[in-house]
Amino acid sequence: MRIARTLRTALPVVAALALAVPAAAVASEEFFDRLAEALTTSALDGAFRARLSGTLDLEGYHLPSPAPALFETTRPDLFNPRLSLFLDAQLGARTYVFAQARADRGFDPGDAGSRRRLDEYALRLTPWSDGRLSLQLGKFATIVGNWVNRHGSWDSPFVNAPLPYEHLTGIWDTEAVRSVHQLLLWSHVRPGLSAATLATEKRLRVPVLWGPAYATGLAVSGALGRFRYSTELKNAPLSSRPASWTRAQQWWTYPAVAARLGYAPNPLWAFGVSASTGTYLRPSAGPTLASGLGRGDYRQRVVAADVAFAWHHWQIWAELYRTRFALPRIGDADTLAGYVEAKYKFTPQLFGAVRWNRQVFGTIPDGPRGPVHWGRAVSRLDLAPGYRFTPHVQLKLQYTRQAEPAAAPARTETLATQLTVRF
Amino acid sequence: MSPRPAVLLAAVLALLPARAGAQATIEGRVTLPKTTPAPVVNQRYEIVAKGGVVATNPPLAVVFLAGPFPKPAPPPVARLIQKDLAFVPALLPVQTGTKVEFPNLDDQYHNIFSYSPPKRFDLGRYRPDERPVPSQTFDVPGLVTLRCDIHEHMRGVVLVLDTPHFVMTDPAGHFRLTGLPPGRYTLKAWLDSKTTREHAVELTDGATLRVDFP
Repeated sequence: MRIARTLRTALPVVAALALAVPAAAVASEEFFDRLAEALTTSALDGAFRARLSGTLDLEGYHLPSPAPALFETTRPDLFNPRLSLFLDAQLGARTYVFAQARADRGFDPGDAGSRRRLDEYALRLTPWSDGRLSLQLGKFATIVGNWVNRHGSWDSPFVNAPLPYEHLTGIWDTEAVRSVHQLLLWSHVRPGLSAATLATEKRLRVPVLWGPAYATGLAVSGALGRFRYSTELKNAPLSSRPASWTRAQQWWTYPAVAARLGYAPNPLWAFGVSASTGTYLRPSAGPTLASGLGRGDYRQRVVAADVAFAWHHWQIWAELYRTRFALPRIGDADTLAGYVEAKYKFTPQLFGAVRWNRQVFGTIPDGPRGPVHWGRAVSRLDLAPGYRFTPHVQLKLQYTRQAEPAAAPARTETLATQLTVRF
Repeated sequence: MSPRPAVLLAAVLALLPARAGAQATIEGRVTLPKTTPAPVVNQRYEIVAKGGVVATNPPLAVVFLAGPFPKPAPPPVARLIQKDLAFVPALLPVQTGTKVEFPNLDDQYHNIFSYSPPKRFDLGRYRPDERPVPSQTFDVPGLVTLRCDIHEHMRGVVLVLDTPHFVMTDPAGHFRLTGLPPGRYTLKAWLDSKTTREHAVELTDGATLRVDFP
């Protein structure tokens, strides 16, 4: 019923936007072209060139209670404006610098006031023109998987991220779990968490991957024929939260390592396999470690496969992540998470996308009770139509239905909309 | 008669009716805008980047004779290729009704689209070896801006004109428009979407007129 009420309220707004935006946007196309020229500079006879660009996102959410995924709000409706600025600079053909700065209500949408961050900055050197090797140093998105390439609001047909990138597991990164019972409490498999803990524990849990994982480090990548390889040495693993990504000191003590091998037999298909390992506990978890163990014993190990297909107006992606969180003196906590996503352009401007997500959890031994699943299986369906009014203005709507049979409620629905202005 | 002279003769005969009443010539120079810097390629998540410097054409103008000219039959065919992550040529003038083919000579996908009112289309992603080569017929005069959904920096222009008499300047702005029918017309020089210069001309048989667009 709440969804229906929200729809009745939201539809006139969306309709008004759909009528008003195109007229303004068409008139402003020339403006955006002029702006792009004004934000581009060059020197040294064109050898050095730099460009400032960006996106302005106006997002609205209608959320179930409690808020799913990485949302940090207790309200049913959330408005999240976000300004992203990108700097791309080239010095000749060998040196490339990029940066991304954002002003919003937090890396993950929530009730926080305005925040400003430098999410990415990196220097890339490409010694050979055939791309056989490039070195990248800085703070940048992970090389694992294929979602990162399209995670920007303009490129992704959805408002949110796929399930593996935002569904919280029962693993905390601030404290080492001490028993199976505690893990089952943290993962909500068993009731019993105190009200005080329930109010705050969402900020302690981690997903398999935390969004694009803009951690700090070094990457080596290259192309050899139809193969692509990438390796990275970062200061934090894939599951780490944004606050960990800038902690450069962790880089040398507990580095996270990842690698991806890609194969594209032709432009239609692209396959990839990835692996990653790193400690998932933050330094503050030190006092909670089991005696005789270090943070390095609490590792997240990930093996992943991805595939992408594109032909004419179809694009299809899929990723599968098998993740193991090492829990010393308890066992290994395994989870399998993945999704299949398809996008189709109905007309030059109207597109639609559907994504089916699933995450299941393995078992851990629970004494005489035998093996027990350490998390609640979850399925999620995302449907998203979108419309590009101009090359600079895009509107997306999204309906999400999540099924988590062991939860209460077992089914939840989320509505989202995102208006993006790209410049 | 050997095949080669026969072909030549046929070509000359085909040209004769047009040449008989179309002898005027206009030549001159267009002052072109300053060269703009080459685009900066967004390679943020294309971690394996080849090169990085993309060359663009220097600014050019299109000079054309505006007037009531008949549509061509059969419709002409032009080509605008994608090569080295750029449109070549970056500016393509065509007569209304022209079919433009878009061959992809890169070893990766492009996705050409246009939201310009005279022609909205989206070719989607197609393989370089796919046949027939994707094409569009441009049957409404106006400016059509081409973009690539994959490579943000790529930009091309198809200028659809209601006249068969047009020519591109050279990089110095010089042009020469030949085979023009006698009469009174407006000569136009298109520099960009906001700048088109005009000059009234009167053409006589066999004469060469000098027109400069400062």
